[in-house]
Amino acid sequence: MDTAKRLYETTFIVNASLDDPQVEAVITRVQETITKNGGTVVAVNKWGRKRLSYPINKKTNGFYANLEFEGTGSLVGPLVRAFQLDEMILRHLTIVLDRRALKARAAAAASAAAAAALPEEPAAVPAREPLFKETEDQPKS
Amino acid sequence: MMRPRRTRRERDNQTPRKKRTCRFCDAKDIYIDYKDEKRLQRFVTEQGKIIPKRITGTCAKHQRQLVQAIKRARHLALLPFVSDTIR
Repeated sequence: MDTAKRLYETTFIVNASLDDPQVEAVITRVQETITKNGGTVVAVNKWGRKRLSYPINKKTNGFYANLEFEGTGSLVGPLVRAFQLDEMILRHLTIVLDRRALKARAAAAASAAAAAALPEEPAAVPAREPLFKETEDQPKS
Repeated sequence: MMRPRRTRRERDNQTPRKKRTCRFCDAKDIYIDYKDEKRLQRFVTEQGKIIPKRITGTCAKHQRQLVQAIKRARHLALLPFVSDTIR
């Protein structure tokens, strides 16, 4: 039995011909299957409707959603099964975030935090008056 | 059969090829994300084929990661397997 907790990431494409509330319902259903199987959803990213690079089930558009969740390996099986049974889901991909991905993520978060801390600085500097004012009576040569 | 020997001039006229460096190493990137399709597109031909590392200059380590990212992106229809123009 795999008991190690890992961070997973799953991306799936929902049929875009559904209305927004229906799409939401599909996403919440996926979240429920994760929580029901002992996982915790860390983040939900909705990318929205996008054009598919190639048609899937004769559809050219899809609603992309990306979930990050934490859990054990035994959670992935039921999740994949749920994906397969759901006819509104065109594609799904679940990956483990490996060491490298986690590191990159931490670095991105750190830089974002740094960027969030910075913007105070430029705002504090008042806009400088132009050194040379152009007067209208002086014709430019 | 002997191959005709190249003359000295022919050899000297060859412009020295610039050594390409791995873009990912230069950028100090740790992780190549499959979600970043714009980035991956640069490493794919018009037809949608993965460009070999001898052309792009990507190092072996990053090429492996890149290939995995491209294949994941293809699965999610973020990148084409075959481009529309060919089909």
